[in-house]
Amino acid sequence: MTLYSAPDQALVHAAIEQVWGSMLFEAADPWPEGVPAEFETGLQAHIEIRGGWNGRLVLTCDRDVAAQIASALLGMGPDEVIDEIDVHDAVGEVLNVVGGSVKGAIDGAMTLGLPGVRASASPPASEESLVVSWRGAPVHVQIVPDAPAA
Amino acid sequence: MKVIIADDSRVMRQIVMRTLRQAGFGHHDYVEATDGADAFDKVVTEQPDLVLSDWNMPNKTGIELLRDLRGSGNPVPFGFVTSEGSEEMRETAQAAGALFLIAKPFTPEHFESALVGMLG
Repeated sequence: MTLYSAPDQALVHAAIEQVWGSMLFEAADPWPEGVPAEFETGLQAHIEIRGGWNGRLVLTCDRDVAAQIASALLGMGPDEVIDEIDVHDAVGEVLNVVGGSVKGAIDGAMTLGLPGVRASASPPASEESLVVSWRGAPVHVQIVPDAPAA
Repeated sequence: MKVIIADDSRVMRQIVMRTLRQAGFGHHDYVEATDGADAFDKVVTEQPDLVLSDWNMPNKTGIELLRDLRGSGNPVPFGFVTSEGSEEMRETAQAAGALFLIAKPFTPEHFESALVGMLG
């Protein structure tokens, strides 16, 4: 297996494809170029990776997309209502599993933090994100290295 | 048989139980624990036949839970279900007394293969 010194978008996208395919039973196609990747009210999940590379992965998506992801993860029917707390939990877990896969591909002793989830008013800039399509809606994933020490 | 499922994510505990049902183990009793400390207490009170534990949890991690159980003389069969499945972690888990490590994302076949012979 190729080991990375730092995560890149190809590695993170491969991890997302694996997790979505096996846990959510959905493809994670790249977001089409030139199409605005916007939403109104979103959720943002983050998880820290520590070791030879230090930083965090940040997943941001629309609240309804987050609910759909949670519903798919739990295998719920279209008419079943999901609690907000379970939406946060599910999106955090999806990023946790993606983070575990990414962490395993980085060379050296690494640790993974616990996922955190909060509301997010706006998506990150597309040029700073890997954007994948969830049923035609954008999901942004950022690789955010720690700022170098001053 | 009684199985404790320890994970700080309620959603993940639900998914583990659903996958166990899909793997043909739906007829066992499942007890949920919300972190390693809760799992330790429930191992003492519930006396399960197996513990399935996440690794990365608040209060007490899965590996701390396993070491504390063995340190107190409790030999309950123990397996990890975790998002991190590196060789180093597998070796650490095995050295501490874990029987197996199932990495997320998992399938019913992963549970079937790990638990056949242990859970009927």
